[in-house]
Amino acid sequence: MNDPQKILYIAGLSKSFGKLQVLSDISFSVERGETICLLGPSGSGKSTLLRCINWLERPNAGRIYLNGSEIGVTGHGLVMKDSELSKLRTRMGMVFQHFALWPHLTVLQNVMEAPVQVQKRAKAEVEAEALALLAKVGLSDKRDVFPARLSGGQKQRVGIARALAMKPDVLLFDEPTSALDPELVGEVLLVMRALASEGMTMVIVTHEMAFARDVASRILFLDQGRLIESGTPADFFTRPQTERARLFIQRYAGVAAA
Amino acid sequence: MSLNDVLAILQGALATVTLSAIGILIGLPIGLGLALIRWARVPVLSGIVAVYVSVLRATPLVTLLLLLFFALPNIGIPLGPISAAILALTMNTSAFNCEVWRSSLVNFPKDQYEAAQSFGMQAGQRFRRIILPQIIHDSLPGLVNEMSLLIKVTPVLAVVGVVDITRAAVRIGAQTYEPLPPFLVAVAIYAPIVYALVALQRFIEKRRAAAEAST
Ligand SMILES: Nc1ncnc2c1ncn2[C@@H]1O[C@H](COP(=O)(O)OP(=O)(O)O)[C@@H](O)[C@H]1O
Ligand SMILES: [Mg+2]
Repeated sequence: MNDPQKILYIAGLSKSFGKLQVLSDISFSVERGETICLLGPSGSGKSTLLRCINWLERPNAGRIYLNGSEIGVTGHGLVMKDSELSKLRTRMGMVFQHFALWPHLTVLQNVMEAPVQVQKRAKAEVEAEALALLAKVGLSDKRDVFPARLSGGQKQRVGIARALAMKPDVLLFDEPTSALDPELVGEVLLVMRALASEGMTMVIVTHEMAFARDVASRILFLDQGRLIESGTPADFFTRPQTERARLFIQRYAGVAAA
Repeated sequence: MSLNDVLAILQGALATVTLSAIGILIGLPIGLGLALIRWARVPVLSGIVAVYVSVLRATPLVTLLLLLFFALPNIGIPLGPISAAILALTMNTSAFNCEVWRSSLVNFPKDQYEAAQSFGMQAGQRFRRIILPQIIHDSLPGLVNEMSLLIKVTPVLAVVGVVDITRAAVRIGAQTYEPLPPFLVAVAIYAPIVYALVALQRFIEKRRAAAEAST
């Protein structure tokens, strides 16, 4: 877990809501520069897994390390204070299914908010970086617009720029294109492809099978809260080990497989 | 009705405005604080606040005022009419404000809050930077409505001897045996006070809409 190549290291993670066991004994690690696509049927626990990683949801068991530092639990085995958790969270960027932009702030302000307010970095420096990020996601002309006036695809690109602005070690995506009209999916995936090729470390929950097949360095397959497959896209899509994965591929990846 | 009479009513207006303003200024943040206690489900306190708010919302202001004015001195807390008036107004309006704030908080989109959390904002920052600016906007109509109501119930302060607009008008009417003119003056004074509040609300909303429309 102190391997510098391992950005994320997750061991024995379990989570239940009351009697409902949502995640059971999940273990995996993510190396620097990897693009992990996390697949699985709806309700299999994908969102909960991402939310446990940054402790938006508190796991019932297991350990999570980010760059060698354990998240959520202090050296004395106590649950971390808000302030300690916050520090670790700034090293993970989260991109949400429904964007979760802050509607009272402009596009540029959305991107600058966390670096300035949380990381306490100099405004001028952050602004220059934020503008560069907006250029990168193709939204320079929208800097002073409020989110309400953007299309879904534009909102999600702002969401990605906002997450990148903290210079995180890893980006977590929870179905970033599921809420988009089909014709807007491409522009968001394009940005994500560019990030993957630049070596950004990412964990992406998605139902875009063609994207997963092309871009993922590794596929994780979650079924009923268990991690039952882990392998390269080629292995996963052509030689799935489990019946559940085979059924899933048949059902969701029909188009991608054709 | 003489000039002096008009001045007396204006003096009453000053009392109405001052006492309402004090009640509003103290009641707004207290209402917000109470709403936050309920929203964050602070153990024990949350339950106490719930009871406090429902009792106060059910108690007529005049009853509360008389209770404070006569009961508190009985248990050794001396209270003048002005203090009793301010205390009653504040308690009453904070309970109603609490419900306005709380409904904004309850309806606040969870994903925005979680986004702030996942970007490392701590509870105080999340509240100040993300929630407060939005719930102020959302609560404003309800809060202004409650302020107008508060101004319009100030005549009950007369029961403990505070001379507000209406009480001044009653006095003058009784002295001059011409009740109509002083009451017309009184009505003419209430209207602009409440109107000023509504105008303020419109101004704030317009400014925001203008900011959002400018691209
Ligand atoms: N806060 C919660 N309280 C209770 N049950 C939850 C909560 N969040 C998720 N669940 C349940 O956990 C299961 C997994 O949900 P989720 O992680 O959202 O799955 P996925 O993202 O793979 O569709 C579902 O059965 C869901 O109803
Ligand atoms: Mg999900």
